[in-house]
This record gives sequence, C-alpha cells and structure tokens, in this order.
Amino acid sequence: MTPRMPAWLDPSPGLDGSGSTPADVERALGCDAPGPRELAALLSPAAHPFMEVMAQRARALTQRHFGRTISMYAPLYLANYCMSGCAYCGFASDRVQPRRRLEPPEVEMELASLKEMGFEEVLLLTGERTSQAGFGYLLECVSMAARRFHAVGIEAFPMTTREYALLADAGCSGVTLYQETYDPLQYDRLHRWGPKKDYLDRLDAPARAMEAGMRTVGMGVLLGLSDPVFDAVCLLRHAGHLQRIHWKSGIALSFPRLQPQAGNFTAPFPVDEALLARMMFAVRIVLPEVPLLLSTRERPEFRDGMAGLGVCKMSAGSRTTVGGYGGAEPKTEGQFRVGDERSVPDICAMLRHRGLKPVFKNWDSVFRDTEAGRNG
Amino acid sequence: MERQGGIRDEWIVGGHRFSSRILMGTGKFKDEETMVGAVLASGTQIVTVALRRVGRIPGEDDMLGPLLQLGGITLMPNTSGARTASEAIRAARLGRELSGSPFVKVEIHPNPHHLMPDPIETFEAARVLAAEGFVVMPYMPADPVLAKRLEDVGCASLMPLGSAIGSGRGLATAEMLRLILRDARIPVIVDAGLRSPSEAAAALEMGCDAVLVNSAVAASGDPVAMAAAFAQAVEAGRNARRAGLMPRGGGTALATSPLTAFLSAEGA
Repeated sequence: MTPRMPAWLDPSPGLDGSGSTPADVERALGCDAPGPRELAALLSPAAHPFMEVMAQRARALTQRHFGRTISMYAPLYLANYCMSGCAYCGFASDRVQPRRRLEPPEVEMELASLKEMGFEEVLLLTGERTSQAGFGYLLECVSMAARRFHAVGIEAFPMTTREYALLADAGCSGVTLYQETYDPLQYDRLHRWGPKKDYLDRLDAPARAMEAGMRTVGMGVLLGLSDPVFDAVCLLRHAGHLQRIHWKSGIALSFPRLQPQAGNFTAPFPVDEALLARMMFAVRIVLPEVPLLLSTRERPEFRDGMAGLGVCKMSAGSRTTVGGYGGAEPKTEGQFRVGDERSVPDICAMLRHRGLKPVFKNWDSVFRDTEAGRNG
Repeated sequence: MERQGGIRDEWIVGGHRFSSRILMGTGKFKDEETMVGAVLASGTQIVTVALRRVGRIPGEDDMLGPLLQLGGITLMPNTSGARTASEAIRAARLGRELSGSPFVKVEIHPNPHHLMPDPIETFEAARVLAAEGFVVMPYMPADPVLAKRLEDVGCASLMPLGSAIGSGRGLATAEMLRLILRDARIPVIVDAGLRSPSEAAAALEMGCDAVLVNSAVAASGDPVAMAAAFAQAVEAGRNARRAGLMPRGGGTALATSPLTAFLSAEGA
C-alpha cells in the first residue's frame, strides 16, 4: 500500500503557482519572510535568469550568519551490509560486492587517522540495520569516536527514540537521515524491499532523534530520484514542522545528487549543476540561518565555486569505502563515486585562497551532559 | 557631566578598569591575521572567544593561541553552544581553566537558528557562576526586569541585545535599552545586532557603557578598517554623551493663545 503524505508535509499550497513568472521570482526575492511558495518560484525555470542575483544574495546571507568560515567534517563508513533494495544505492543487497564491517580495533585506527588529518567532527555511516552492523555495534563505535572527537554524528538507519537517546548519552550530537524522496509513489517504487520501504517510519525518525535530545538533524533528498521542486518544497515543510515542535534542535541540509548515470541506475529526474546551485541559493535565501552542507560527491570546480555561496560546511579527503583512511585497507567499493578527491590540505588551501577559513573545531565535548545523562 | 574633564574616562566591570568601550568577538573571520588585525585596530581591551572554537590539546584547531600573544587584552570566554545552565556552567569552568581569565560571557541560546538567549537558563547560570567568583557578563534579552534580577545575583555587567545575533538590524530594542539604562547599577553593554558604526555611536550616546561587535566587523568588506571605524564611532558616541546632547526640537514653539495666559491675570 502506498503511504499517504501527512497534511503538514503536503507541498501543494507552495506549488499551486507552478507556472511561476519573472514577476513571481522578483516578488520572492523581495519577500520579508519567504516560504514554500517563494522557494517554488526561485526553483522554477523563470528564476534561471536571476541566478547571479540569487548567488549574490546567498553569499551575503551566508557571510552574515556564518562568517567567512567553512566547517570541516569527515565521513567514516563503518559497514556496507544492507538488506534493503534501494534501486539507486551502491550498497543495495542485490549488488554483488564484498561486504564487511570495521572491527573495533580497525575503527580505532581509522578514527586515529582522521584525527591526525586534523578533523574534530566525524560522521559515522552504515547501511540499514543488520545483524552484522546493528544498533549495539553503532553505539560502540559512537563511544569510541566520542573519546577522540568533539563532535560525533551518525548517518545510519531510522531508530527508536530510546535508541537515539542512548546514542546521545554516548556522545552523539547529530543524526543525518535523508528521506531520499518525499514523493510516496516514487519512494515506494525505488525502495524495492527491506526495512527502508517504510516511508512513514523514515519520515518520523528525525522527530524521534530531536525528541531524544540530538542537537542537530541533517536532512535532505537524493536529487535525481523525483521532481526536485516537489522534493525541495517538502523538505522545507518538513524542516519547518520539526522546528516548530522541537525548537531546541537545529537542522542542517545537504544536497546529495545522483550522477545522471550511477552504476546500473539512471536518474529519472536528473539535476544539472546549474539547478543544484540555484537550489542551494534558493534554500539559503529562504532559510538564512540553516547550515548547508556539500559533500565530495561533486567535482572540485563546483565545490570551489559554491564554498561560501550558501555552503558553510564541507567534507574533505573523504573515502566512501569501508575503511580507507589508513587504519584499515578498503576492500569494498564506495557507496558513490567521489567527485572531489583532493586531500585535506589542498581543500584548506583552496578555501584560504578564496578568503574562507576552514574551521575544524566548532564544538566542544564539554557540552555533553553526562551528569544529566541526556544532551538536553 | 558624568565625569569632570581631565579625569581618565574609564569604566569598571567586576573591579577591573577599562578605557576602551568596544568589546570584540572573534568568530567569522577569514583568517587569524585578519582577526588579530581587527582586534588591534579596534583598540579593544576585552575580547570574547567561543569555548567551542578553543583547542583543548596541542594540535587542535585553536582560536586562543594568537590572542594570548597580544598584550593588554582581557580574554572573556563565552559559552556559545550551551542550551542549558548546567552546560554553560561546565563550559565556563573549562573556559577559566584554559584562558586563565575570571571573565565569562554567559551565552545560552537553545535555538541554534535565531540564537536568542534563554532568560531562564541564563539567570540560573549567572547566579551559580557569580557565586563561584566569576566576572559574569550575561548575554540577555533586552528585558528591564531580567536586568535587575541578573544584577541582584551578582553579575558584573549586563549585555542586552540590540537585535538578533548577526542580523545587523541595529538598536531594534532601543526603548527597552533605555529602561535598562535608567535603572542599572552595573555597566550596560549592547551585544549583538549592530551593523554600522553609527549604531554603535547611538548606543553610547544613549548611555550604554560599551558595545560588543563581531559580525559587523568580520562580515564587512574590510574588517580591519571597519574595526577602526567602530572604534572612532564609539569614541564619538561616548564624547557626545559626556558633552550632553541638546534637547530634542519640536513642541517648544509658542502658541498664539497660550494655555497659561490665565496666570498673568493674578493680582491684576
């Protein structure tokens, strides 16, 4: 059965003027409190000629709220076991490839390598919940990471509020979970089998993470899977819904994009760089205070250009294989192809050259409330 | 006149004397050189540093290092990132350990997007830290009642916001600031929201003891030049305050049929 979208998520009020005109775009740019309707206008074809204006606005807003800084983080893939059949994913259960997880001593070595590279924030990733890499394993890895890093986040599977609370107690302060697409029909088609087929469980998970005291929840859609304007407006509605209820947690948004041809999968709604850039400008204009992240999926020239134009947080030197930072040999394929393979010092030099300061430490473990047993 | 000419125009916070009336934040700069350049150009004597940006062990990304080398600067660690009083208290204690400074800017904003200070948690943290001997400088909403409550529990100064952090909306809270200033017995520093030097001058003219700026300098076209411009504006505003502004115009023109004409009839 195809799940129904909850009323609070329904994007149609923002999309009813789908044939936006240049006048709508100008109105959106002049609006004091832009919302879903304005976002839709800024993402419409009519806004394409306003690209430069939007870029200027995005840069000014980013500079005002985040300064001339870019926060740095590194992903660490812990395992690639998965029982879900996501049509677009390199780790899907029907992809034949070596499967493994990092054993605790390997995790320690990989974390040590990342620390040596200068990172203070690490994002731990797994696939869906499996017996090889389930909650207990993730909890152990979070505890290990929290001993070395000031900021620890996870990008894994949807959990219960209690599980999120246990992770928070262990030192995890951020949860990233993308809905992939908010279109229930398309979601159902692309998630062919496995636990990830449960649209509503995934949709509700960010709220559970916030309820459990997570400080930041990372959200996003996988661009290319469905109508990007529909998905972007839903993302904005979802973020707004969470902010109204869980006002002590922050949100951060990422813009992962499928390459038009990823493995055996052809993106049904390909998003080109120009639209990706305009989407990030538009979201910055609509949400001036929300961190926007850009991973190494994109090519160097695009990342260089976008740094500071909305983007205020970047990964660098990333490996999307299980292991690969020096502590454990990568024996698997990556989840996706890394578009920017430059080293951390190279990325830092590029940022400095562009008048931006790479910031590695932007959090402190002192904020972990061990006495209260909870982060909030 | 608040002070006689010839006497050094100083202000005192927690028993420490300062002549510069500009406090500087250190975030948002493109590099340490610019940050240090702006700090020097501003002539500031009090600099605040977010504890979350301070390295705890050698090799960590570190904001404190370059500032510790500057002479004549009092460091004021801030607790930005704390959502609760207990988090801020722990951060303040660690900040004192790392910086060696008794000053703390209590900054508690549970909402990470608009960064508005939480009055309840701020009050609690300020109460505990003042009792522990910190020189407590609370970042606070521009609320005259909260101001007195914070004063009562031993804060060394009050730091009400002019408008939201990084918003550049200036002295949007001017009416509340006037009430705070009217009754305060400790220094009042406008913290957050300023965009232009003229707004800083206006704060000093209004009677504020000092201003704290960060975004307005760091996100400007030329941070070092802007820091110098703020320093000049703060000095001008302070001098204007000491000189005494002329009364506002309007409402003093004489009516042709005076309401008090009846008074001259006495004894006639």
